Amino acid sequence: MAKAKMLTGCRASAEGAKAAEVEVICSFPIRPYTAIMMELAKMVANGELNAEFIHGEGEHAQLSVVLGACAAGARAFTGSSGVGVTYAMEIYSPMAGGRYPAQMAIADRTLDPPGDFGSEHTDAMCTRDNGWLLGWACSPQEVYDNTLIAYRVGEDHRVMLPQMVCQDGYFISHIPDKVVLGEQSQVKEFLPPYRPISPLSLTHPVSHGPQIRPDQGAPMDAQRAQTFLAVPKVIEEATADFGRIFGRNYDPFVEQYKLADAEIAFFIMGAHANTARAAVDRLRKQGVKVGMARLRWVRPWPTHQLAAALGHVKAIGVVETSTSYGGAMRGGNLIHELRASLYDLDDRPLVTSFMGGLGGETIWPADFDHMAKVLTQAVKEKKVRNYVQWLGM
Amino acid sequence: MQAFDYKYQQLEPVKSFKRVPGPEMYVPGHRTCAGCGPALNYRLVAKAAGKDTIFIGPTGCMYVANASYLCTPYAVSWIHAQITNAGAVASGIEAAFKVAMRKGRHAGPFPNIIVMAGDGGSVDIGLQAMSGMMYRNHKVLFICYDNESYANTGIQTSPMTPYGANTTFTPPGKEIPEGKTLFPKNAPQLVIGGHPAVKYVATTTIAHPLDLMNKVRKALSQPGPTFLHMLCPCPKGWKFDEKMTREMARLAVETGMWSLYEWENGTYNYTNVPKKYKPVNEYMQHQGRFAHLKPEHIAKMQAFVDEKIKAVQRPIPVAAAVPGKQ
Amino acid sequence: MAKELPGYGTIDVPKDRVVPFGAVTPAPVCVQNMFQTSNWRIVRPVKDDEKCTRCLICYLSCPDACWVYKEEEDVMEWVNNFCKGCQICIQECPSGALTAAPELDFPDGVVRLDKPF
Repeated sequence: MAKAKMLTGCRASAEGAKAAEVEVICSFPIRPYTAIMMELAKMVANGELNAEFIHGEGEHAQLSVVLGACAAGARAFTGSSGVGVTYAMEIYSPMAGGRYPAQMAIADRTLDPPGDFGSEHTDAMCTRDNGWLLGWACSPQEVYDNTLIAYRVGEDHRVMLPQMVCQDGYFISHIPDKVVLGEQSQVKEFLPPYRPISPLSLTHPVSHGPQIRPDQGAPMDAQRAQTFLAVPKVIEEATADFGRIFGRNYDPFVEQYKLADAEIAFFIMGAHANTARAAVDRLRKQGVKVGMARLRWVRPWPTHQLAAALGHVKAIGVVETSTSYGGAMRGGNLIHELRASLYDLDDRPLVTSFMGGLGGETIWPADFDHMAKVLTQAVKEKKVRNYVQWLGM
Repeated sequence: MQAFDYKYQQLEPVKSFKRVPGPEMYVPGHRTCAGCGPALNYRLVAKAAGKDTIFIGPTGCMYVANASYLCTPYAVSWIHAQITNAGAVASGIEAAFKVAMRKGRHAGPFPNIIVMAGDGGSVDIGLQAMSGMMYRNHKVLFICYDNESYANTGIQTSPMTPYGANTTFTPPGKEIPEGKTLFPKNAPQLVIGGHPAVKYVATTTIAHPLDLMNKVRKALSQPGPTFLHMLCPCPKGWKFDEKMTREMARLAVETGMWSLYEWENGTYNYTNVPKKYKPVNEYMQHQGRFAHLKPEHIAKMQAFVDEKIKAVQRPIPVAAAVPGKQ
Repeated sequence: MAKELPGYGTIDVPKDRVVPFGAVTPAPVCVQNMFQTSNWRIVRPVKDDEKCTRCLICYLSCPDACWVYKEEEDVMEWVNNFCKGCQICIQECPSGALTAAPELDFPDGVVRLDKPF
């Protein structure tokens, strides 16, 4: 096996795109994802990657360029951060509805106002209901791996959907960690070339995206919904194949860390899971029966897998790194969907949430100690006092 | 980067009506209004471009009234773009074909990639994407089919709507008697003035079919981005008798409301210049959108046109000054 | 092990409501028969072959490609199914070969379609 290199998440993302031999790349600068494009620009300039590198005039254009490229049969790659992600908002639905399986690398950044470079998941979470596959990595290695896995899943003819491969800004995008890059032979075995279904062609002319009648609207929506019923199986296959070929095995949907006998658990995604894992180890030494569930895909949401992984736990603390102002629990987004996923269990775990890691804040080991205390108390009292609390406030 | 032969098409000029390419690439069977100027324009453009073409159709009349209910009139490949992003979608398509040819997946010829955008989709909400595409030197023909309003949403003013026009966003009233008070953008000059990669820009109308088709073919034979500004009268939006569609375009040229020219590598070539321009009211009087105007408004329009046609005699046209504002 | 949870069910779009994957449709060839517009018009152009000079102006004036030159017979042919009756051709004909006739004067009348658009 190849030797590990110390790479940032951005570099790992670019290496993943290069391994996938992306053909059309569209860039626009915004921190922190910018470094992904800087790396790819070098690769194209050096002739390491036979691709068109297009300087988009904004994120809206970035998405539009890769939409066009994908429609014409090219494997396309773009990315963004923060308000860049939301500036492109118009194009997410057309890309998913038109079944253009391009990929977007996200290094999460908080939204304005005012300007803040820090990481927060709200940017990509804003796009979650448009029909994209939406996954989070928690290390540069996983960024590289998810880049390949997402292309494989998105371009599968049972799926044909665009993908967002997210990583926390700075915590992952800019801190080097060990990354083992795949051999090109492994990549070839894992990821077949992109085969568009009905591309724009001179020999077989087609019309992409004509208007529909209102009575055709629901069937169009149903088509995307149907696909999402089929996606989990494709993700499972791809993740298993990835493990077989590259030797790195992931739980397709939920990383389960010391959950089997856990009484309380952290539910988390992204970079802060690394701190959570360490916290679990430390708390375990103190006799606290705690575990961690880390979400790998937000879309499709792994309802049953979460119920199976967390159903036996007595209290769950959702570590939110996004905002949902005025939402049902007045905190972040994840708690709503987690609570809904557990609702049908006879013996439901208690679920509360902690707002942390917002605006780029670090979630400290002591925060996890605090969370464990709150959860232990909830178990004792057989209820949660509040749906949400803000860490450090 | 090593040179690669992308097999760009070279299209010979059409010499006469008899030699016009026969096949319809924009076929009958669409929902455009009777007497639609933009539809006639589309048909002539598609004929001139031929079968090895891909159209990008941003939202506008030529999307909504054409690509209806999962059936379309485009005999060549066509893709919908948002009204905002036609230039960017076209850029992606062009780039994809370049890579496909370099990798041997597509043998050629390189497709004629044509954006068919309305005035809004080109020089208003679509301006950023159009400008980006042109700046980046993509081999794309960007056509602005100018019907001088947001027509498919019910005739709202656009930056190309003339002064004095009655639209549903510029209704004349006691306080604002002339309806629209602003003067339009100069679309070709927006392109010429700021995009060094563009070497060919031309204007034409649907009343000049050979001129139109040959400008399309010349534009498509360039190695880089090109722009055509095409006057496409709209019977519904301009409120004239639908059989007068071509007549309106002709009168626009005869009164100086519109000029036919080519701009090629920095040189202007005007054609169909009237020996004596007709008064602008001969054009305006047929159109209900100007019916509310008083003589002083028409005089203001005449002054605007007088200034504009001075450009025809000058070596370099400039955007006409807005009367009363200087 | 947790009890069995509800599933997602299946989505069965009725056959007559199925839309093409990604709303991609094949391009039409020559005409788009799914969208005939002959029932739009209230007048139709009538041609006088004696006066017609085959100058092709009608051919290049029609937004709906409703005039076709038949080379073998050397005549202009009108396309009934798509003519919307805009009368541009009549207005533009330089030899006065075209006139407008009310649709109801013809035995086939207004060609009604099965279902209106």
